[in-house]
Amino acid sequence: MLNNSFHWAASLVSAVLLSMAMAGVSHAEPSASVQDDPGHFARGAQAWANNCASCHNLRPAKDLRDDQWRVVVAHMRVRADLTGQEARDVLKFLQESN
Amino acid sequence: MKYRISSSRHCLVMVMLSLAAASSNVYAESDYQALQNEVQALRQELSELRALVKQQSASQEDVKSLRQEVKATSRAQSEATNADSVAHIAGYAAVGLTDRSQSGGSAFSVASFNPIFHFLYKDIALAEAELEIAAAPDGTTETKLEYASIDIFLNDNTTLVAGKILSPLGYFRQNLHPAWVNKFPSITPGFGEGQAAPSSEVGLGVRGGYPLGEGKKLKYALYVGNGPELEVDGSEIHGIESDGYTRDVDHRKVVGGRIGLVPLPRLELGISAADGGVGLEGEPDRSYRVLGTDVGYQWKQLDLRAEYISQRVGDLATSVAPDGGTWKAWYGQASYKFLPTKWEGVLRYGKYISPHADQRQEQWAVGVNYLWGPSVMAKLGYEFNQGLAGENTDANRWLLQFAYGF
Ligand code: HEC
Repeated sequence: MLNNSFHWAASLVSAVLLSMAMAGVSHAEPSASVQDDPGHFARGAQAWANNCASCHNLRPAKDLRDDQWRVVVAHMRVRADLTGQEARDVLKFLQESN
Repeated sequence: MKYRISSSRHCLVMVMLSLAAASSNVYAESDYQALQNEVQALRQELSELRALVKQQSASQEDVKSLRQEVKATSRAQSEATNADSVAHIAGYAAVGLTDRSQSGGSAFSVASFNPIFHFLYKDIALAEAELEIAAAPDGTTETKLEYASIDIFLNDNTTLVAGKILSPLGYFRQNLHPAWVNKFPSITPGFGEGQAAPSSEVGLGVRGGYPLGEGKKLKYALYVGNGPELEVDGSEIHGIESDGYTRDVDHRKVVGGRIGLVPLPRLELGISAADGGVGLEGEPDRSYRVLGTDVGYQWKQLDLRAEYISQRVGDLATSVAPDGGTWKAWYGQASYKFLPTKWEGVLRYGKYISPHADQRQEQWAVGVNYLWGPSVMAKLGYEFNQGLAGENTDANRWLLQFAYGF
């Protein structure tokens, strides 16, 4: 029984490690190159339209302040399984259209 | 004669001059008076203006202190937006009325407030917690921790989630149950707490997504947790409770997850599965298995979704409740927003099958919603219910709900 759960916990840890190895661990903080990326806003608009209305009504940029969007987009990144890139793009789009 | 003429001319000039002088003297005196008055008035005006200007124009010191104030404000502003940590409160509230006039009368039956607390550290960690504070039928207040987890963004494709989490199995429970998200005032049969769909879990998991090209995506959520517990009534298992336990009475973890595929933007197909143990204190563990599948599609103002979920508990001859069983449910829902108006229509079908006849239910539901904003709405619905005769599950009902997600 206990072996069983350890077995599964071990598989989970390996899944984490594998996934980290596949993507390379990086804390993806917005770097200068990301901020200057001209496609950022357009990709963000697209990602927002594709991802943000699949569970609930679309929430427009002016619903929240820029700093609040930082937290909410992180929350939705977990909820909606967004990639880090999608989350950064959506955040850029929401903050710039605010 | 010449002299005379000249002297008389002289006299004339003198007379005219003296006349002119006399008249100009008269003119000059009144003019001077007017001018003097005017100057006086101007002086007065000037001194008033001076006083006004003095009053209104900032002194050097004023300008200096204003500059400092602007500097401090803009620093505070940029600190608020650029600080490493950000705190935020979100959540939702719902109030409602249920009318089951055929059988049980009507009551203002819902008053709940669910605050959600978020704390974000850089792009590294998110702490999230939701409380449900609800008025109970007997006037007491129920407080429940819906979830409390720490999420670590390991990389662009993987987030580690740990703590009390909404079960990653299925779609409705984790993504659609909040009142402002759910299109209908009630939860579809079988998807409520303690029914066919698992709701919470205490454990550890990873989740995230991988892009598969333009608008296509793979989503995943894998977890290991303590698993649910059995609610026993006499010698029968009455239900499977997945409130999220910090103990594991059966000593066998549950492992599972969901894989979602987005083959086109706004179409998502998911499958969920879990396997592990469930049991009662002091008894050996018995098998516990979850299977589910879900689909969601949005096209213009149309929103379509369907889901199937089942939980199966194995038999155990030596148990106080030897018979296991399967609790399963499915539903389909279509909703449409009649833009540019604020109205939305909903149609839903749901069925819940349990080993106990009094729990089974089949339901058709129609509803109409009025949206003041994307997360502020009134929902009016009618349920056509079929269950065991005499049970609440068999009574049709009207529902009215106001919901606000903030
Ligand atoms: C997989 C479903 C899902 C998707 C996709 C989704 N949301 Fe949400 N969202 C939710 C749920 C559920 C809540 C309610 C909060 C809760 O229960 O934790 C919510 C809450 C919110 C809130 C209220 C504040 C908060 O943090 O609770 C905002 C704003 C929001 N979402 C914006 C977005 C944006 C922007 C996107 C696109 C990036 C998005 N959502 C995509 C499910 C989703």
